[in-house]
Amino acid sequence: MNIEPVAFAALAGVAVATAVLALLVRELVHTILWIAVFFVALAGIYFLLAAPFLGVLQLGVYAGAVTILLLFGVMVTRKRIFSREAATGIGPVPLALAFFTVVLLAAAATVLPTHEVPVRAYAVTDLSTTLFGTDGAWLLLLGLTMLAALAGAIYLVREGRE
Amino acid sequence: MTALPPAYFLALSVLLLGVGVFGILTRRNFILLLIAIEIAINAAILNFVAFGAFSGTSAGLTGQSIAVVLVGLAATEVAVGLAIVLALNRLRGSINVSEATSLRF
Repeated sequence: MNIEPVAFAALAGVAVATAVLALLVRELVHTILWIAVFFVALAGIYFLLAAPFLGVLQLGVYAGAVTILLLFGVMVTRKRIFSREAATGIGPVPLALAFFTVVLLAAAATVLPTHEVPVRAYAVTDLSTTLFGTDGAWLLLLGLTMLAALAGAIYLVREGRE
Repeated sequence: MTALPPAYFLALSVLLLGVGVFGILTRRNFILLLIAIEIAINAAILNFVAFGAFSGTSAGLTGQSIAVVLVGLAATEVAVGLAIVLALNRLRGSINVSEATSLRF
């Protein structure tokens, strides 16, 4: 008995269900807790794809840092943390679009190839060679972007700005 | 070694992208909007990793590298987004994006 299709089905089901739930529940805090589960499920899928470094990164950055950051955002922008959102009804057009998309996907899934392809696993050292090999240009670029973004964020929230 | 049809991962990615776009189009709360964008970005990252993993060449390493950079960029985007949320909350007293109209003429 091969466990991988079962694991994929479970993780994918949890991921889609929690993504939908996160956007539909009324309490904003519940939304963030659901989205944390979504990030953990996606990390599991990265492990299935033989990308353990990315899985750990997903757990640390998304399930850890982004979730806490979003909770902080909820904490400082409302008086009562568990207050509900005003009911926002979903119009018929988005529902029809969603239904149409699912039907289209189901039709497309019948023509997709279903033969199994082995996933190639890479050593983490090879990944780090790719990331840092070209004088670390990728990470340098990312670091500069983050520096600029954080400077902009501090500018946005600083005191006495009207 | 894992052996699964690549189509599984692509179908999951399309579904997640659909959920993210649905959220972006229908939610009016800024934090919910950020979360919907995160879901869509995660669908894109999953695509990079899946295509790389099934390519069988060293393109998988490039895919994972792009995914690492994208995870960092998405985290940065949340930080800037929350700064905008705080500024909007101080300016308007609410984080409803429909009330952020000061740039409209």
